[in-house]
Amino acid sequence: MPASGFERRERRFALALLAPALAVLLLVTTAPLVYLLWASLQRLDMSMPWLQGFAGLANYQKMGADPRFWNSLVLTLVYTSSTVVLQVLVGLSLALLVLQIPRGQALLRIAAILPIVLAPVVVGLFWRTLVLAPDFGLVDLVTRTLGLGSHNWLGDPQLALISVIAIHTWQWTPFAFLVLLATLATLPPDIYEAARLDRAGAWQRFRHITLPLIRPAVVMVVILRTMTALSAFAAIFAATGGGPGSATEILNLYAYRTSFTELNIGYGAALATVLLALTMAVSLLLFRRRRGVA
Amino acid sequence: MHDVPHPSRRRIVHQGAALGLASLGAPWLLGTAHAQADDLGPYRAAKVNWRQAEGESITVAVIPAGYFENLITLAPQFEALTGVKLRFEKVPPGQIRQKAMLDLSSKTATFATHAADPMYYPLYTANRWVDPLDRYLSDPALTDPAWFNYNDILKAWRDAASVDGKPYGIPYDGEVTVQVYRKDLYAAKGLKPADTLDELLANAKAVHDPANRVWGLALRGFAGAGQNMYIYPSLLRSFGGGWFNGRDLVVNTPQAVQALEWYVNALTQYAPPAVRNWNWPDIADAFSQGTLGCYVDAHSSAAVITNPEKSKVVGKIGYARWPKGPSGKRVTSIWNWGFPINAALSDKAKRATWLFISWATSAETQARTSWKFAGPAKRSGLNRSSLWRAPEFAAAMQGAGDNFIAAALESLDQDTDVDWRPRVPQWPAIGEAMATGIQAALVGQKKPKEALDEAQARIQQVLKG
Repeated sequence: MPASGFERRERRFALALLAPALAVLLLVTTAPLVYLLWASLQRLDMSMPWLQGFAGLANYQKMGADPRFWNSLVLTLVYTSSTVVLQVLVGLSLALLVLQIPRGQALLRIAAILPIVLAPVVVGLFWRTLVLAPDFGLVDLVTRTLGLGSHNWLGDPQLALISVIAIHTWQWTPFAFLVLLATLATLPPDIYEAARLDRAGAWQRFRHITLPLIRPAVVMVVILRTMTALSAFAAIFAATGGGPGSATEILNLYAYRTSFTELNIGYGAALATVLLALTMAVSLLLFRRRRGVA
Repeated sequence: MHDVPHPSRRRIVHQGAALGLASLGAPWLLGTAHAQADDLGPYRAAKVNWRQAEGESITVAVIPAGYFENLITLAPQFEALTGVKLRFEKVPPGQIRQKAMLDLSSKTATFATHAADPMYYPLYTANRWVDPLDRYLSDPALTDPAWFNYNDILKAWRDAASVDGKPYGIPYDGEVTVQVYRKDLYAAKGLKPADTLDELLANAKAVHDPANRVWGLALRGFAGAGQNMYIYPSLLRSFGGGWFNGRDLVVNTPQAVQALEWYVNALTQYAPPAVRNWNWPDIADAFSQGTLGCYVDAHSSAAVITNPEKSKVVGKIGYARWPKGPSGKRVTSIWNWGFPINAALSDKAKRATWLFISWATSAETQARTSWKFAGPAKRSGLNRSSLWRAPEFAAAMQGAGDNFIAAALESLDQDTDVDWRPRVPQWPAIGEAMATGIQAALVGQKKPKEALDEAQARIQQVLKG
């Protein structure tokens, strides 16, 4: 049968074409992941090479009694939930507002992209040195003018957490804004006209028409932003390094510090694995929820 | 001056200009200075075969700082002397430890040697990542003991680069922390540099006037093993505390709590509010703007505060040793950037590396990177006792201010020892835990006792592995 022979050859050729890309992908994503999982089962502490060996689940068991792990886990959840909620709320409000503007929307859209395209490290340093620095930072200037006084925005434990949430929100709200603006622009005007004829108020129109219609987009934004926020690193690393103390040390930073400052590679790998599992579990949950609604 | 986050090129150039003598950089003098400095005679006086590793090529990791820039400028002389090709890689201070460890632990032998943090030698030796250097020092084919004169290198730094009496690195440049104060402000109130920690606070109180933007005192407040954990150990030791109880590391002793309480109070009462985020460059900048009465930090920060282009306090600066603590002791830091030999190198590369190390740390190269240096930046962190006492060095440091060399040298000779910080392989984790705890106390997140108890718990967990 010549056709099947041709097909087979075709498939083999396709595979040959794909192979390099697959190999690279395996090498740069799967292999490190497998190594991470392997390392998380080892006692691998460079400062105590004499202890090296297989540890089983000891690294994971250790987390139960590690107050810094629980602290970082709570911080991760607080950080993620507050920044995602803020991004959606602010993004949606901005989108609704901009929708009312008859002209210049394109300009606003371009402006909104700017924070997104900045590297998070740059964002962190920019906020640290220009926006939040006491005495001459932008925010400090405003609070002092308003008579609220000068604050050590990244040096005070509570303010530092609020600050890093604000930084992340600042960078990623435009994403929510752009997606929701695009979705809002596609909503059919006739439904609103019908609603208006039925004397539905602005809030009612928003609550019963807009919200249900844009819900899939909102859920999508929440999923994407949650995944980013859970694995956020660079901006916090640049702005506070996890400090002061451990006030902004989310799980990712704790794993980094454990591995590369304290040199306990095994425990650091276990922490990173937990973060990976957490991110996957949360995304899975959100995806399920999305499917359930849609 | 270690742990500088990314000092810009401009800063380095400025620091250089700071030590005065910019006039020496005048072009018409450069020619003669170079002709003189290119002379390899002083090296050839050593009874070793400098050409024994000819054709080898080695890479050295250093931080981007003036004192290494000067050395890099002289690299052609080394290449002419030995026939060994030299490549420098500049790694920011925040990353050099990690990069070096990555290379050492994976045995890739990328860096033949690197500017090493002396606190890391116990870790290096536990993993056998670097060679013991006694072999190299005692091998007549590699070292001419009379010419190299290892014992002329400052004892504190030699000790800091050794583990159990064996040298693992040769110090190239270093520093000590000293009191730096404003002569004019002190004179106006009839104050003398503090002799005790109580007097330091009294002095700070006397000149403290935040309404007119003058704060009494500043100390590094930023978290880090090389930042707040670079000041706190001096306080702890001068309060009579130590790190070990027998073999156990104990960081929450009553003396430790007192020392940390002193640190917290001093910064809360007399330092600018932002000091908790400050490392030495921030402190030196504030001082050079005239907003500080006094600070205690590295003697090498003089380069910033005596820079006539940036500093408003040139000519108004005095130096003194650390004040005595309640135990009656003055305790200063122990710090140097030294060069170890990567154990993963081939034999020939090791010999080439040793030739580089003995060249860079020799008295002649030390002088050529300091007062004999053609550019404006004269190094102040020389590694040799004889050079610190040389009149040429005194002349080169004249612009730094009152009592500069004496304060630094006496501190080096008398006020520190190798147990200034706990020297154990787990230092990276311990330094981090201490830095985090100290900062939590400094920002008021935790009481000193509570912060140290937590650091202790953390350290115990780390030591268990």
